[in-house]
Amino acid sequence: MKKFATLLCAMLALGSFVFANGQSESAASSETTLRVGMVTDAGTIDDKSFNQGTWEGIVRAGEDFGFTPKYIKPSGTTEADYLAGVSDLADSGYNMIITPGFKFETTIYKAQDQYPDVKFVLLDGVPHPGDYNVVIRDNTVAVSWAEQESGFVAAVAAALKMPNSKFGFVGGMEIPAVQKFNWGWQQGIKYANENLGTNVSIAQEDCLYSGSFSDVALGQQMAATMFDRGVDVIFAAAGGVGVGVINEGKSQRTSGKDKWVVGVDIDQYADGLMPNGESCILTSAMKYLDRASYDMINDELNDAFPGGTSIVLTAKENGVGIPTENPNLSAEIQAKCDDVYKMMQSGEIVVAAEQLPGLWK
Amino acid sequence: MWETITQIAPYAVAYTIPLLMGALSGLVSERSGVINLCVEGYMLVGYFISALTISILQPIMGNSALLIGLIVAMIGGAIFSLLHGFASISLKADQVISGTAVNLIATALTVYIARNVTGSGNISIMLGIVRSDVPVLHSIPILGKLLFTNTYWSTWLCIAIWAFFWWLLYKTSFGLRLRGCGEHPSAVASAGINVHKMRYIAVMLSGALGALAGGVMIVTYSGEFNGSVAGLGFLAVAAMIFGQWKPLGILGATFFFGIATTIGNVSQLFASLSSFPPVIFKVFPYAITLVALVLFSKSSAAPKADGEPF
Repeated sequence: MKKFATLLCAMLALGSFVFANGQSESAASSETTLRVGMVTDAGTIDDKSFNQGTWEGIVRAGEDFGFTPKYIKPSGTTEADYLAGVSDLADSGYNMIITPGFKFETTIYKAQDQYPDVKFVLLDGVPHPGDYNVVIRDNTVAVSWAEQESGFVAAVAAALKMPNSKFGFVGGMEIPAVQKFNWGWQQGIKYANENLGTNVSIAQEDCLYSGSFSDVALGQQMAATMFDRGVDVIFAAAGGVGVGVINEGKSQRTSGKDKWVVGVDIDQYADGLMPNGESCILTSAMKYLDRASYDMINDELNDAFPGGTSIVLTAKENGVGIPTENPNLSAEIQAKCDDVYKMMQSGEIVVAAEQLPGLWK
Repeated sequence: MWETITQIAPYAVAYTIPLLMGALSGLVSERSGVINLCVEGYMLVGYFISALTISILQPIMGNSALLIGLIVAMIGGAIFSLLHGFASISLKADQVISGTAVNLIATALTVYIARNVTGSGNISIMLGIVRSDVPVLHSIPILGKLLFTNTYWSTWLCIAIWAFFWWLLYKTSFGLRLRGCGEHPSAVASAGINVHKMRYIAVMLSGALGALAGGVMIVTYSGEFNGSVAGLGFLAVAAMIFGQWKPLGILGATFFFGIATTIGNVSQLFASLSSFPPVIFKVFPYAITLVALVLFSKSSAAPKADGEPF
């Protein structure tokens, strides 16, 4: 009995020692004052796209790890404006700066040398001086996504919903991030036709890049023309041009036609809402931006910041995919999509990130 | 080819209408002798007010919110244009500078309010006008397909407004006086007419029309206020000059701009057009405008007292 009491005391003492130690350590780490800032890309912080997704991840990390993040909206969208935003944050003591969008590539290329003590996270791009000679310093991480996998599973979902139909694609500028969506989309259609018994076609002239990320009228006109000549589902990976496509999708559905739009980057379901409470967004090909910014902050706090590398987030890391809730998809379709997603995670399905023979550009 | 044209036509017409209203806004003001470079600003104000009004009213009252949004935008535009009117009529300021200032204010003010109202710079409406065929007329051969299929009701409203202004300017004594103020204000004044009052009326009509142009963009193809009308206001001013300050002229000029821009936008979609780079179609109207301005510079029909304070 005495022995047991001694043991108990010893264990309690040890325990309190361990826990006290742990507590003091975590107090110390919050005193190391990680200060996280973000510079926004073109558009606002609640743009329902890149900025918002990135910011949500940072805010969530701030709540979990106890810091107050800050964002700066640059006065313009040139490299000088972005660099001014980065400098503002760095000079006022922010030691981790997260920037969303490929437009920051040249900015971060300069900033990583200018502020060697600041950690940079560049989402959806790689730092280079403008000629794609990529230089990633030890204080920088470049994160990109396997867009093709996201487009693939969205295509499978859309094909199952509309098994006998024509699909289209409206992209923004012809840059890799958009092209990969397109190629994944087409591979997904092919996969569904071959393995899931659908009969979906996509014609070359319905697979287009608008050349803009902001021209709403352009998106509306392209979408209207495509819908008019029989395309049933359009995948819009085009920023503001996509707003025009969604707008046209609403108009088509309201006039009683069975047309759909597939959203991009984040869950765009709410953007497609119509007065009758339904949405013209069938599903969305997502990149989980919030998870990326959250994870990077988490890594930094655990001294595991993967500086100097470029990371590609795929289905394996749950970095891409369609929303977990798709009110316009039946449970059966959702289940099939989950199967396809699991096959992508296990490597059973490999989606190519380039233009395979037989795919449109 | 014919099929291509009939497919493009409704969208070209839809794109033309805001331009037509913008050009008409410029025309009414300039024919009264007040230079109007702030069509862009008026459009932006209308764009903003209509988006805000409709986004608030639509959940309550459904589709009639669209018409109310347009009317509120016109009233707002008319009030906003008093800024330009006061500076250029009462204070006799340089009208080009006043117009530029109004453009700057419009950009800053709308974005500022929008950010405070919605938290972001964007205000989106749930649903714009749903296109429909015009009863009976759409079955007319050829023309029916081109003009009366797949149209917005706002298009017909704007064309009626255009026709009304043609009538107002050329068939009424009010119109004669208004045009007189732009050609020879002292002659009008000597006939006992208050030139300042006439010009104020013209500027306010111009503000209302410019705002209508912005509102039409919201309810037809745009659906979202995003802080910019993408230079359409200046394009409208160019169309007004190209159209030689005449209602029929601006109808032709804006339609020309509209169809060329639309072809540029959708050319990739058609095998028959996709062999040309789309940039050619997009540059085309601007290049033609430059050429036309050079050709017409000798015989320019600008109102003689345009820009002269009275």
